[in-house]
Amino acid sequence: MKDFTATRRSTLKLLAAGTGVLAAPAIIRPAFAQSKVVNITTYDKFVPQSFIDQFQKDTGIEVRIRLTDDQGKQYNVLSAEGETPTTDIVTVTGHRLPQFIGSKLLTPLDTGRLKNWDKLASAYKGAPQLTVDGSVYGVPLLAGFEGLARNTDYTKASDSWAIMFDQEYKGLTSYIISDFLQITMRYQGNDGDFVAYEGKPEEAQAATNKARDYLIQNKDMVRKYYDAGSEVQQMFVNEDIYVAHSWSGPASKLIMDGHPIEISVPKEGTYGFLYSFNVVQNGPNTDAAYTFLDAILSSPEIGAAMSRQSGFASAFDGVDKVLNDKERAAMTLPQEQTERIQFFSSVNRDMKNEMVDKAVAEIKAA
Amino acid sequence: MVDTTTMQARSAGSLRVPRYAGWIGKAVGSGLYRHTVGRLADSRRARLALLAGVPLFWIAALHIGPIFQMGRISFMTDYPQAPDGGPAYTLANYELFFSDQLYFMPFIRSLIFAAVVTISTLVIVYPVAYYVAKIVQPKNRMRALLLLLIPFWAGELIRTFSVIMLLANRGAVNVALRELGFIDRPIPMLYTSFSLSFGVIYLLALYMLLPLYSAIEKIPTPLIHAAADLGAGPLQRFRRVILPLSKDGIVSGCSLVYLTSVGVFAAPLLLGGPNTVIFPEVIATLFHSSNDKWPEGAAFAMLLLAVSLSTVGLFMRVIGGRSVRLM
Repeated sequence: MKDFTATRRSTLKLLAAGTGVLAAPAIIRPAFAQSKVVNITTYDKFVPQSFIDQFQKDTGIEVRIRLTDDQGKQYNVLSAEGETPTTDIVTVTGHRLPQFIGSKLLTPLDTGRLKNWDKLASAYKGAPQLTVDGSVYGVPLLAGFEGLARNTDYTKASDSWAIMFDQEYKGLTSYIISDFLQITMRYQGNDGDFVAYEGKPEEAQAATNKARDYLIQNKDMVRKYYDAGSEVQQMFVNEDIYVAHSWSGPASKLIMDGHPIEISVPKEGTYGFLYSFNVVQNGPNTDAAYTFLDAILSSPEIGAAMSRQSGFASAFDGVDKVLNDKERAAMTLPQEQTERIQFFSSVNRDMKNEMVDKAVAEIKAA
Repeated sequence: MVDTTTMQARSAGSLRVPRYAGWIGKAVGSGLYRHTVGRLADSRRARLALLAGVPLFWIAALHIGPIFQMGRISFMTDYPQAPDGGPAYTLANYELFFSDQLYFMPFIRSLIFAAVVTISTLVIVYPVAYYVAKIVQPKNRMRALLLLLIPFWAGELIRTFSVIMLLANRGAVNVALRELGFIDRPIPMLYTSFSLSFGVIYLLALYMLLPLYSAIEKIPTPLIHAAADLGAGPLQRFRRVILPLSKDGIVSGCSLVYLTSVGVFAAPLLLGGPNTVIFPEVIATLFHSSNDKWPEGAAFAMLLLAVSLSTVGLFMRVIGGRSVRLM
C-alpha cells in the first residue's frame, strides 16, 4: 500500500470536516427555527403557489412546504420529534384532532392574533369539529366527503353503493380499504363511524367482521387498493377503473379538468371531514405561523384558489362568488345528497381505529 | 513506518511551523495541533485510523445506529412513548407475528416474490451481460454499458411511473396493440403480479448487470476457445467453463437483487394489485396505522431483516463458498 503523507493543510481540512459533522445537529435545528421561515406540513395542492409567492414577497417569510398524504404520518413524525418539532403548522382533520391533542402535539389557537378570523364562513367559525374542551385548535380550510365517483362514459347512473359490487364492473373498481370498510358497514345498515358502539365492543366487532368478510368475498371487484387522491385520479384518467370510492376533492378536480367523471352521495349516505391548519406545540416559528394563517384567511380569492387546486369546498366566506359556474358545479351536490353527509365524529376513535386497522390487514392478506 | 528525520528535527525543536493569520494561525500554533500532527506524521496506524474513522462513524451513526434504534423500539410496549411514562419492554410484538397468520402469508409471499424476481433477473440479464462483456468489440464495450446504464440515472419513482405509463389501459402497450388491430379492448396488465414483477425486475436489473459484467469480462477468452477446440459444444462450454467462472458475479448479483427486492416498497405500492400485497407494505401500514403501531412495525422489520440476511448468508455460503464479495 502506498504510504500516506499527512500535511498540515490536509489534516486541518480533515479536522474541520470532522468538526462539521459533529456540529451538524446543532446547525440543523436552528435552520428550521428562523423568524423569517414557516414550515408547513400539508397535502399536495392545498396551498396555492401564487399565494406562497405573494406571501413571501409581502412578508419576507420563507414558506417551506412538507407534503403528506396521511394523518397518521403527520402524527408519527410529530410524535417522533417530541419537544423539538421541525414543523410549525400541520393539516389535521377535525375527527383526528383529539389524538394529536391527547399527545400534546398541538397548541390551542389564539384567534385574537388572527385579524381575519371573521372572514370564515359562519358555518365553520368555531366549528364543533375543531373545538376541544372549549378551545379552538384549527383554522378550518377545506371540507370534503367520501363519494361515489364513476366514469360517465362507461357506467350507468346509480344511487347506491351497490354499484361497487356490480359484476359488470369486475376488476374496474378501487378504494381506500380503511375508508370503504366504514362505508360498507354503513351500506350494510351498521354504524361505520362506531359512535353507536361505544362500550359495545362485541357489537362493533361483529359489524366490522361482516363488512370485512363482504369485502374479501368481493375482492375480485377491485383493480387496486389506493392510498392517495392522485392515484385514483390517475386510474380514472388511464381508464384502469370506472367506479371508485373517492374523496370529493380528487374527483371534483377531475370534473373541473373536463374528465367524464361524476361524484355523488348514494342513498345509504357517507362521511364528511373538515381539514384545518393547526399550530404545533413548541413549533420553532410560532409568530411566522400566525402571520401565515392570518394571510391565508385574508381574501376569498385565496380560498377559491385552494378549492380549484384541491377540489374540496372552501371554509372561507365569499368563495362561491369567486368560483365560476363550472367550478361550482364540480363541487356542489344536490340538496338531498348534501343531507346524506354525516361528519366523522371523534367519539370512540380508539375502538374504531383498532378494529378497522385489523380488518384492513385481514382484507389485504386474504 | 516512522520518519526518523522528522522525529529528530521535532525533538531538537527545529520543526519549522509556517505562520497563518487569524484562527488558523492560532490553531496551528496550539500544542494540541502540534501533538496531533506529530502523532499523524509519526504513525501510519494513526493516519489510517483518522482516514477510516470518518466513514466508520458515518456507517455507524447513519446506517447501523438507526437499525439498532429500530431493534430497541421493536421490544417496547409503546412508541412514541407517553409524554409522562418511561419505556417498558416486551416480547409481545414478536409473538404477534407468530401467533397471527394474518402477517405470515405476506411474509412468505415476500420471500417467494424476491426469489422469483432474483431468478428472473438473472435469467434475463445474464445474456445481456455476456453479450456486452464478450461479444461487443472492446472499444465499444463502455458505450454499450453506458447505454444500458442511462435509464438508471433517473430516479426509482420516475422509472416506476414509466412502467405505469407503459402498462396502463391507455398506456403505450395497449394503445399499440389496439392500433395494430390485435385487440379491441385493453388487456389489464397494470396492478397485477405481472406488472409488479416486470417493474421490480426493471428497477433492479442494474444490481445484477454490473457484478455479472465484471465477472464475465474477467473470464479469459482463450479458455473458451480451448474448450471449443477440445470439442465442447456451446451448451457444454457454458455449463463447464463460463458458468463456473462467473459464479462470483452470479452470487453477488443474486444477493444484491434478493436483498433489495425483499424490502422493496414503492414499486409494489404503485404497481401491485389487491392480491400482491407483500410484507414491506404490511410493515408500512403498521407504522402509518391510526393506533401508532411502531413497535409491531419495528419487530416485523427486524424479522424481515434477519430472515433476508440469513437467506443471503446461507446462499453465499452454499453456492459461493468463501471467495465471494458483494462488491
